[in-house]
Amino acid sequence: MSLLAPLGLALTALAVPLVVLYMLKSRRSGIEVSSIRLWEGEEEFVSSSLPWKRLEITAALLLQLLALALFALALARPFFHQATLLGPHTVLVVDTSGSMAQAGRIDAARQRLVELAAEASEDKLISIVQAGPQPRVLAAFSREAATLVDIVSAVDAGGGTADLEGAIRLARGLATPDRPTTMLILSDGGVEGTLTEPVVDARHLAFDAVDDNLAITGFGTGTVGEGTTRAFVEVTSYAGGPVTVPVAITVDGLDAGTVDIELAAGGRDRRLVPVDAGPGQVVEASLVAAPDGNPLDDTAALVLGGATELVVATTGEGSPFLDALLAATPGVVPPLGAPADIVVMDGGDASIVDRPAWVIRPETAPPGIDIVGRLDNPVITFTQPGEPLLDGLDLSAVAIAEADIVQAEGWVPIVAAGDVPLILLGDVAGHRVVYFAFDPVRSNLPVQVAFPVLGARLIDWLAGSRIGAEAIADAGVPIAVAPPAGATTVITTPSGETVTVADQVLEYARTEQPGIYRVSYLDAAGEPLGGVLATRRFVAAEAAATPRSIAVTEPEQQGLQDATIIREWAPLLLALLLALVLVEWWVAFGRPRPRRRAAVT
Amino acid sequence: MLLDTAMRSRLDRLALRGKRRLRGVWAGSHRSVRLGESLDFADYREYHPGDDFRRIDYNLWARLGVVLVRLFEAEDEMPLQVVVDSSASMGFGDKFPTAQRLAAMVAYLGLASGERVRLVTVPAADRPSLQGPWARHVSAWPRVERWLEALEPAGGTDLPAAARLLAAPGGHRGPVVLVSDLLAPGWDNAVDVLGTICGGVVLHVLGPDELEPGLSGDLTLRDAETHRELRVSMGQAVMERYRTRATGFVAEAGRRARRAGMDHVLVTARPGAVEEALRAMVGKGWVR
Repeated sequence: MSLLAPLGLALTALAVPLVVLYMLKSRRSGIEVSSIRLWEGEEEFVSSSLPWKRLEITAALLLQLLALALFALALARPFFHQATLLGPHTVLVVDTSGSMAQAGRIDAARQRLVELAAEASEDKLISIVQAGPQPRVLAAFSREAATLVDIVSAVDAGGGTADLEGAIRLARGLATPDRPTTMLILSDGGVEGTLTEPVVDARHLAFDAVDDNLAITGFGTGTVGEGTTRAFVEVTSYAGGPVTVPVAITVDGLDAGTVDIELAAGGRDRRLVPVDAGPGQVVEASLVAAPDGNPLDDTAALVLGGATELVVATTGEGSPFLDALLAATPGVVPPLGAPADIVVMDGGDASIVDRPAWVIRPETAPPGIDIVGRLDNPVITFTQPGEPLLDGLDLSAVAIAEADIVQAEGWVPIVAAGDVPLILLGDVAGHRVVYFAFDPVRSNLPVQVAFPVLGARLIDWLAGSRIGAEAIADAGVPIAVAPPAGATTVITTPSGETVTVADQVLEYARTEQPGIYRVSYLDAAGEPLGGVLATRRFVAAEAAATPRSIAVTEPEQQGLQDATIIREWAPLLLALLLALVLVEWWVAFGRPRPRRRAAVT
Repeated sequence: MLLDTAMRSRLDRLALRGKRRLRGVWAGSHRSVRLGESLDFADYREYHPGDDFRRIDYNLWARLGVVLVRLFEAEDEMPLQVVVDSSASMGFGDKFPTAQRLAAMVAYLGLASGERVRLVTVPAADRPSLQGPWARHVSAWPRVERWLEALEPAGGTDLPAAARLLAAPGGHRGPVVLVSDLLAPGWDNAVDVLGTICGGVVLHVLGPDELEPGLSGDLTLRDAETHRELRVSMGQAVMERYRTRATGFVAEAGRRARRAGMDHVLVTARPGAVEEALRAMVGKGWVR
């Protein structure tokens, strides 16, 4: 132990006056009593003119001397050297793959990260790279220990496979030219074959705790027979002995049955479970009371497909352009006997509207619209500013042969030729309606670039809130974000956290957590315009991943090995001092004394 | 006001009771050492010329042939004297107010019982004894209360002188109630002398600080009456010895009083002391 400020020990000289104070005779104070008869015999007859008395060693004196010594020692700032793994600049690469959730490996890694982050200082910068499916820099060149501790405290394992190579490349990119940079890889080794070559100038901090584990390694649904939906579930045992595990199936959170699966050590088994579920419903399987080392692989979920299909029927004349438009619009299918979600009324009678409709120059207008005349060769002079349906569309080159002149109170014209509305949005009997006052066939709109985009947007707008399901992917695979024009994308993660995605972002990459991600597209008023349910599953290979060491080449540069940091004793000493002062106070004033019986009256 | 209305009402329902035969001057309700005119038969004696014929027991004369006259008990009043210690040592804490209220309680009890009551203070070398007038009826209570309230604790204590004063020949031979802390030389002799008069009660008033002093450090103690000084370094051992002495002093006072034919009641000067003292006097048979 050395001292940073040895001069502080000079304070121990105060012990001399302290002892002198204890040797000085105290001045007697006079007090009048009713009688001194009962005090007779207690008089101190021997007296001296000296102001000194023999030093009496009391507990209070010893405690005060000890407190003084501690205070002087704290002022002298004793310290010791502690070995540290940190260099002038250290990049911490932390593996957050699914296997790190096994047997508390990620907890141990997080604890180690916190310890390392707490050592950050001006001389020891820290960068942190999260090695998940999508490597990400969590902190760069930071010296703020508190900030780093906060960051690493939030690190958790996901359900995907770590891209260790990508993370190491990212870490290499953080190397600083003015400071030697070393790398610490906190990992269980990842899936075999992840790293093919030794990592140079790096250390591997292995987290290799193992525990018995049961995992759902396969989960899907299918339709058999007369439309019966069956859930397929496969469970694999990584336990040391045979085990029977119940698997609970739920549909939209409601219990849909339980099946017991018997597994031998290292065995695997599958079951088919009939479930009463339809398109768009969430089916989830979970192991009940599994003797488990990894909780992330105990559940699997999916969304039954089919909900994305939108049945659009066409009435009236129809046209090849309309047919091509509907055929090209994703999710739109013809009725084929099924009731239509949306109807396209191309001419004819549109007086009755019982569902969302796209009305194209009808002979009889829907309620709220009166046809009062005809206009030849109208020229588009007005498009509704800020209208999401028209966002980015160029209609300036559209030429129209003729259009009806309509009066439509309460309808919103979004495209007009002077005072004559050409495209209107309205509401009939609670159903959204798009009204075209002209026939696209008698214009060049179908051959404009804007036509399919406008058509798809109109179909979307007519469909209103519509949730679809996209294909299941591994945890960590980004979710494509394609909001309608002007819509805001809000993503609800499996843990219930809500994330608002920036407008220009095309994909959401924070999908390490396995489960269902609900992507919602909201308009300016917060009303849903549609969305997607995306499923990210735990990567089965991570459940089987056994710890392995990563081949590394230790740093050779001087200063990167056997580095130490200075640790001061002062906080501990001051804490001791405070405790000592409390004890001294208790000895002097607070100590309970034996109680005497009160005199009997 | 030394005694509130509730306390006086309570005392009105009680009566003072003598524990010995006494020789009073005036007729009263307490058994006298003399023979007299009461209805209580005492004895026979031979007839002597001049005796009242009405007292001759003719039945005995007829049966035995001897002329005997009947003798009866006499009943005298009980002259009660309350001795109040008003020395400087009584002026600590609530001792003197407690002593005043104790004396008031006993005096009122005597007056309410129809006895003659007199209050007397303890003399000292520099101060004679103050003696109040004899009072006989409860109507004299305001005068007695004013007399008591006028007392102030000051000066020394000469308890033997007070005892001699009360025991002087020709004095009234009734019970004595001594209200004092007994923290004066000769207290034991004084108790002996007072006990010979006609018994009584020692109401031993001590403050809580005198029984359990809360002193610490090096002190010079100064006696309030003698002004003598004593240097004492307070410590656990010293306090322990003091407590032993204080306990022994109280026990010795009780033993000495009983030996002299008096009762001893230790009264700690604190709220409720008078009520406790009254209960103790009831328990010892002085009040019924």
